[in-house]
Amino acid sequence: MNLLQQIINGIVIGHAYALVAIGWTLLLGVARLVNFGHGQMYMLGAFVTWWAFAKAGVPYELAIPLAMVAGAMVGLFMQRVMLKATFEQNLVSIMIMTLGFGYVLHGLAALIFGSTGQILDSPWSAIEFEFGELWLTAQDLAIVVAAVMVFIGLNKLLNATRYGRLVRMVAEDPKLAELAGINVRRIYYGVFAFEGAAVAFAAGMVAPRTPILTSMGFDEVIMTFVVVVLGGIGSVRGSYVAGVGLGIFTSLFAALVAPAYTTAAAFVLLIAVLVLRPKGLGAGGGAH
Amino acid sequence: MLTQNRVLLPIIALLVYLGPETLGGGGSVYAAFVLIAIFAVMAYGLDMIVSDLGEVSLAHTVFFATGGYATSLLSTQLALNAWLTLACSVAVAMTLALLIGLITLRLREFVFSLVTYAVTVVAMTIAANWSFLGGSDGVRGIPTLDLSLLGMTLKAGNDRELWPYAFVALVITIYLIQRFRASRLGAAAIMVHLNPRLAIMSGIDPARVRLQVFVFSAAISSVAGWLYAYQRAYVSADLLDNYFLLLMLTAVVLVGKRQLLGPLAATALILVQEKFLSFGGYNDKIVLGGVLIMTLALFPRGLMTIPAAILAWRHRRRH
Amino acid sequence: MTVAEPTLDVLSVSNLKVAYGGNLAVNVDALTVKKGEIVGVVGANGAGKSSLVNGLAGWSRGHARVTGQIKVGDLTVDNLPTYERVRSGLLLVPEGKLVFSHLTVHDNLTTAFDPASNDGRRIYAREEVYDLFPRLKERRDHLGSQLSGGERQMLGIGRALMLGPRLLMLDEPSIGLAPMLVSQVLHTMRTLAQAGLSVLLIEQNVKAALEVVDRLVLLERGTIVMQGSASEMANNPRIAQAYLGAHA
Repeated sequence: MNLLQQIINGIVIGHAYALVAIGWTLLLGVARLVNFGHGQMYMLGAFVTWWAFAKAGVPYELAIPLAMVAGAMVGLFMQRVMLKATFEQNLVSIMIMTLGFGYVLHGLAALIFGSTGQILDSPWSAIEFEFGELWLTAQDLAIVVAAVMVFIGLNKLLNATRYGRLVRMVAEDPKLAELAGINVRRIYYGVFAFEGAAVAFAAGMVAPRTPILTSMGFDEVIMTFVVVVLGGIGSVRGSYVAGVGLGIFTSLFAALVAPAYTTAAAFVLLIAVLVLRPKGLGAGGGAH
Repeated sequence: MLTQNRVLLPIIALLVYLGPETLGGGGSVYAAFVLIAIFAVMAYGLDMIVSDLGEVSLAHTVFFATGGYATSLLSTQLALNAWLTLACSVAVAMTLALLIGLITLRLREFVFSLVTYAVTVVAMTIAANWSFLGGSDGVRGIPTLDLSLLGMTLKAGNDRELWPYAFVALVITIYLIQRFRASRLGAAAIMVHLNPRLAIMSGIDPARVRLQVFVFSAAISSVAGWLYAYQRAYVSADLLDNYFLLLMLTAVVLVGKRQLLGPLAATALILVQEKFLSFGGYNDKIVLGGVLIMTLALFPRGLMTIPAAILAWRHRRRH
Repeated sequence: MTVAEPTLDVLSVSNLKVAYGGNLAVNVDALTVKKGEIVGVVGANGAGKSSLVNGLAGWSRGHARVTGQIKVGDLTVDNLPTYERVRSGLLLVPEGKLVFSHLTVHDNLTTAFDPASNDGRRIYAREEVYDLFPRLKERRDHLGSQLSGGERQMLGIGRALMLGPRLLMLDEPSIGLAPMLVSQVLHTMRTLAQAGLSVLLIEQNVKAALEVVDRLVLLERGTIVMQGSASEMANNPRIAQAYLGAHA
């Protein structure tokens, strides 16, 4: 077993984790919304991509944007239903409602797509690059490139554009943002749509690596939690670093210890960090 | 208030106890009643945390499963009697709760919820993979409930015979919840929930109160698991399914917060829909999730606010 | 334009009631502000001054119930959400937290929308705000949390000006400010008013307010008990006794 290969795997997986987590961390940082349905939205993104590509004959490059649109619509719908609770920052209600949504999404997906595992055989997974003893598929490379681009893009959007400044204002103080003439409701919708589209995008890119099941939402969401808490709530840069770090950790753990317990290992890591540094590793408050 | 009426409560209790017989006394009716009692007890554990302490624990399925697994393993491998399995279930659940509680002591509420959710997911993986817990097959062949003591034969071989025990467990649970709400710990929990600063200034240690309530609530949910093991005669990782979590949460929020009989009524409604008005497995999932979402979106304080809301709406229309 | 325009009230309020829970904090029958006028609202703590302007903006950090008719020019705004009122030219610089601590001065001076420039509103560009408040320009890359009280007031006012206000409401701008800064802020108001801005100024510091306002309104327990021109009110024994006290 080649250690370097595992590390490369880890870097790829890490970028995947970071990409999956980005929508969630922004939603949390801006709207203080804990979306427990995130894992199921990921699952939905994967299945819509699969269905479009494998069943409806849509080219892979178009199947992903299709899934993103579906994801954004799910996000918008969820925010519409939860609008009052979001405005009142009723965290308990929000958490339970998103849990309910996740459950409903699971039921719907099982009804529509069935409960057997499927494989998303993207054209990019077949292309391999070899560097001596190390290898990488085009899909893997695409994941890394996509993640890096999304993070750079988002960073630029938040810090250098007018819209980004408005989003940061809402993240810090939605009430004061109202007085600055900002339509806070629209910002919330925007961020939730972003979460839906981003997680669907991540799913479309990452799902080809493993078989997909309609019951796969749960593991994904744990990894996302770990990434976000380790990286600092609402921190875009933190999520990237934590994601890649976690990826390398889980890859090595799976290779050296036991693949079935990687989620448990990530969880133990989270607990260790929380016990040692209860405030998480990054700064909190708003999106940055 | 309804639940403070000393005459009405015993009457309701009697009616509920005689319920299955009144409705025909068939096996499926008894099964329904027993399951309602078991899941209601499970939900009452969560009720303490959500309604009184105001925190969302997503780990109570783990406590429920702990009861089930402890009972099944101890009764099949060590042939322990039901009293001992009960004690052990509660002890293990409380220890686990203490551990989780200590770790999450100084965390923000939603991080607490995240950690409890992660505990559940990790527990699912462990239960499905660890051979000690039977792996994906689970533990089978659990003997029937036998609480025989001091010469009295207290056995339950089927749902009909199990009903009195389930009923008693339910009544004791409701009684404990009522005592809790009237106690100093209960009052402290509410204060910590609504006004932590005032609580601290009144000499209350919020961390300690949270821990105590959390551990106590875990014990209650584990009792439900204990009974469920005997009812179903086998346990497996499906005890950690999100279904139980959704069931508990809906039971707690559907009727309204801190309503003594709320979780019981809601559990009954949900299980009746499933057993007698089912639309199929996945559709029922959608219905359950949908009910939870709609309740919180439209009636965040529970269905019992509907009459008041209608009155207020009519009042506004007249003016 | 050489033809005299009809002087339209920039703000006209009637039957305004603001209630928190069962408690009626504001009960004002009528209140108007003319174009280019500075109206001061004074009163003791708890008189309802903040509740009044918060109610006008349709804004509250708590749960307020507001009823009554509020018009900005000839546009009825009482049925509009806060951000729409802002877009129609009703701006509030609140008390307490009024700038974004995690954003730089430069970023704080961001407009959420581009105000319509065709109805006579004076829209300030960021550079003009910097000209008005040179201190802000010096500290343009500093975070909101690093600013002093006076600088925050300037920043709050500056951002409001960029949104082209017709009526600018200021809630106790002088709190925690050194007397010289108080004077500076209030005289900036005078300058802006001369350019056509209308100001509704909430102040506890009656003496300072009297130096800049055209009209003064006295609020007690949520109702207007007295109002008049600055000179009338300054000479009024009730004001002098109750609020100017030994410092008169």
